[in-house]
Amino acid sequence: MVSFLRVLERVIKIADNIYSPLGTSTEENFKAVKSGISGLKKYCDMFDSVEPFTASAMPVRMTFRQMCIESATRALQQTDIDPSSDDVIFVFSTTKGEDLRLWEPSVAVARHFGNNNQPIIVSNACISGVNAQIMASRVLKAGLYKTAVVIGCDVLSKFIVSGFQSLKALSADKCLPFDKNRQGLNLGEAAACMVLSTVNGNYESKRWIYEAGSIHNDANHISGPSRTAEGSYRCLADCLKNIDTADLAFISVHGTGTAYNDEMESIALHRVGLDSKPVVALKCYYGHTLGAAGVLETLLSMQAIEHQEIPAALGFKEQGTTYNCMLPTTKTNVKGNSFIKILSGFGGCNAAVRWVLR
Amino acid sequence: MEELKLQLKKQIIEALNLLDITPDDIDNAAPLFNEGLGLDSIDALEIVMLLDKNYGIKFADKEQSKLALKSIDTLAQYVTEHRTK
Amino acid sequence: MSKISVEISGKECTVNGEKLNCSKTGAEMLMELYCKYVKDYPKFYKMDSLSRLGFIASELVLQKEAELNGTTRFESNESRKIILANNNASLNTDLKYSVTIDKNNYYPSPSLFVYTLPNITTGEIAIRNKYYGESCFLVLENIEQFREVLQTIELESDALVGWVEYNSNSDFNCTMWIEKH
Repeated sequence: MVSFLRVLERVIKIADNIYSPLGTSTEENFKAVKSGISGLKKYCDMFDSVEPFTASAMPVRMTFRQMCIESATRALQQTDIDPSSDDVIFVFSTTKGEDLRLWEPSVAVARHFGNNNQPIIVSNACISGVNAQIMASRVLKAGLYKTAVVIGCDVLSKFIVSGFQSLKALSADKCLPFDKNRQGLNLGEAAACMVLSTVNGNYESKRWIYEAGSIHNDANHISGPSRTAEGSYRCLADCLKNIDTADLAFISVHGTGTAYNDEMESIALHRVGLDSKPVVALKCYYGHTLGAAGVLETLLSMQAIEHQEIPAALGFKEQGTTYNCMLPTTKTNVKGNSFIKILSGFGGCNAAVRWVLR
Repeated sequence: MEELKLQLKKQIIEALNLLDITPDDIDNAAPLFNEGLGLDSIDALEIVMLLDKNYGIKFADKEQSKLALKSIDTLAQYVTEHRTK
Repeated sequence: MSKISVEISGKECTVNGEKLNCSKTGAEMLMELYCKYVKDYPKFYKMDSLSRLGFIASELVLQKEAELNGTTRFESNESRKIILANNNASLNTDLKYSVTIDKNNYYPSPSLFVYTLPNITTGEIAIRNKYYGESCFLVLENIEQFREVLQTIELESDALVGWVEYNSNSDFNCTMWIEKH
């Protein structure tokens, strides 16, 4: 058992990377999204037996390990952190890892960087990427480590695509989150990396500070969200505790494009009184990148705040949820230094984090 | 027809792991979903898959499968008319 | 409240060190435990193996808790957390689903696919007990690492925590307890 002092240190983001079909750096990715470029394409013969599907795929097939290493290498290059140090922990977010293994490939990635600590792998369905940020912040705040390399990654596979097809959850065409004509989700693959630290170095004048994180279960159904948004509502309420929402620029939603998820999110936002806040939905650019989604979408949300501009919801025409959500149809200017990222997933889990640029 | 109904019940019980239920417990005319056996949407998809696998049945749309999956009676009727194996 | 711990392996099941009487072993023992100690939750039959193991352990922990506290079994505890972990995630069920997507016999099973996530087990327990608190599944090296990570989670309310590993119908293990800081 480790004993430690519970110090109230701040967790800041010191480096990051997005390695996706839209680019190999966070900046490249945001530039593409800002220009309205989507990674979604139709694929007919990527996997045997599988019906044609629309997805955002890397130009060449890559493994989980390769994607994680590519992304983390680029993120770590921006820092003077020594990843092999005992003070550094690797925290992964993935649902399927590599060849159905999560532990072994994740350890291999940590070892690639010379890191010998046991990694922490969050495998909490689609909320894993936000959950991993929360776990990383906890171990940092507990003083167990000084730096956490958070990597979210999932790669497309016959397993994943066939499974979502069997659930009739996929849209044959590009997904339309929150739209009346939405038909389901698209899958995507990416790796995204966020280096978090309690170390105070000279990186930037303004910094991203991890302010709040929350996870709640719907206690309702293993494969469908709560009709009253029990979990998401609680997560949002937790993240809004004791804050002035004037500084909140937008909510970065899950927005999968499935009938029930988007409806649930509109209810959650309404219940906490955030109907009038702009909404960022990114699945029309990347599809649902599963374990990567939470990290990737958090990083793009940070970019949006830094550029004071949120990307358009491609293809969005007509509101298709009970409560209206403020989805921009063109890129739109926003004000404010903070945002909330929410996610929901199978198993009834929901998560939210709030980050502030200060 | 009665034989097919029994076969369908056995296949559904096995595919959905309804271990506490025997074919005799399932009324031919009773609704399979909600109030009846209490099956959900994933169970419906599993039955659709089972019909494809065992009888070569492919539904054109959701409405069609909904009508066919109302009860064991409607299911047996549909399978008899549309089976390709 | 005294400490509660349930341990289940492919061979036996103990509650606070006391061995429960079972005539069967392996997956059949889980079924036997369900029939003896739960009975009224037919959803159990539809769960995958990992969920069955976690579910049975949770039932035994919570029954013991009610007994020791002198309360009813379903005492309201909305904010209780459920934090589970293991090393091989949902591998056992993943392999079963993989069989259904074989090139020569391609009939992907939706009801198997939904269980190809380890955190479905936490969901099943949350649904049964109406726990709206945090639910989380971690993949770690071993239970020692799990105990270490648990120390970092601030528990303003208590949590049902457990190591739940299902390798095969004869080889599985689970240790579940209620954690309070």
